[in-house]
Amino acid sequence: MLMIKRLMTQHMPGMLTCEEVDGFLYDFHDGNLSYIERFKFKLHLSMCPECRDYLDGYKNAIRMSQTGFIKANKSTEVPEDLMQAILKSRTSK
Amino acid sequence: MKKQPLATSMKDIDNENKLIEGLINNNDLAYEALVRQYGAKMYTVAWRFFSTDDDAQECLQKAFIQVFKNIPSFKKNSNLSTWLHRITVNEALMMLRQKKRQHTSSLETFYQQYNDYGERTVFADNLGHSLSHNLSNNIEMIFEKGETKLSLNELIYQLPEKYCNVILLRDIQELSTKETAEILAISEASVKTQLHRARLLLKAILEQEDKESAEKNWTVN
Ligand SMILES: [Zn+2]
Repeated sequence: MLMIKRLMTQHMPGMLTCEEVDGFLYDFHDGNLSYIERFKFKLHLSMCPECRDYLDGYKNAIRMSQTGFIKANKSTEVPEDLMQAILKSRTSK
Repeated sequence: MKKQPLATSMKDIDNENKLIEGLINNNDLAYEALVRQYGAKMYTVAWRFFSTDDDAQECLQKAFIQVFKNIPSFKKNSNLSTWLHRITVNEALMMLRQKKRQHTSSLETFYQQYNDYGERTVFADNLGHSLSHNLSNNIEMIFEKGETKLSLNELIYQLPEKYCNVILLRDIQELSTKETAEILAISEASVKTQLHRARLLLKAILEQEDKESAEKNWTVN
């Protein structure tokens, strides 16, 4: 597989190298790649397990950070005493 | 998951104008309406920065203090919810800056494993292995600091401020690149590079942590 990958990346026109894939990672994740770029990106991924793992890790890091902070997706209710305290802070000097 | 603007219909906009008028005229009822109507949305924003009651509540309170102070200078034609959102975000960032502990130094050498564009500097067949190996010393230090491993939130807080901020604004608050650039007063290109770099750092740290919990007897030479 490694041999094939090397042959492909070195001799196939338009084939991305691992370095180039890395440069596309952000825009791929955020959906900013053109159709052609996305195709090239996916073609490389289909041949390169390292980059597939790398992309998985990248997505995972983002997902983990999101779940760490976003505990409940619904809007959080403001406790009544906090509401009162806030209103009071306006009038009291 | 994307945020909806609070005022979407003509009716809402009409109500918003009335509300703003009441606020500018120092009407108590208008203030109560403001806090009740918009407080929850602002609280949710605060929650996404801190995810603890105390901090989120403190943030909301501080944000409203700013709101009350700045209502007289609020321009009638600007969007109230956008303005409130911006104030909440700014207060949260300010609180984070004050809270930020001086623990980041152990991470510093770790960042050098990436170039200025946030790209990995190790490739080829042993992709990942030599990278992890280089990083292991630094990361081990981070995780051994406490008796328990850091929570992910703590980890994000401990990233250098610029990385912490872009992650919180782009990945957690889900603001656009443009909005993030405006709030942080940096270019959109910088938002992009810093976010990419921040994500890669988190990725590397998380993978290292996984590896460590998988290999209990793992040692650094
Ligand atoms: Zn590759």
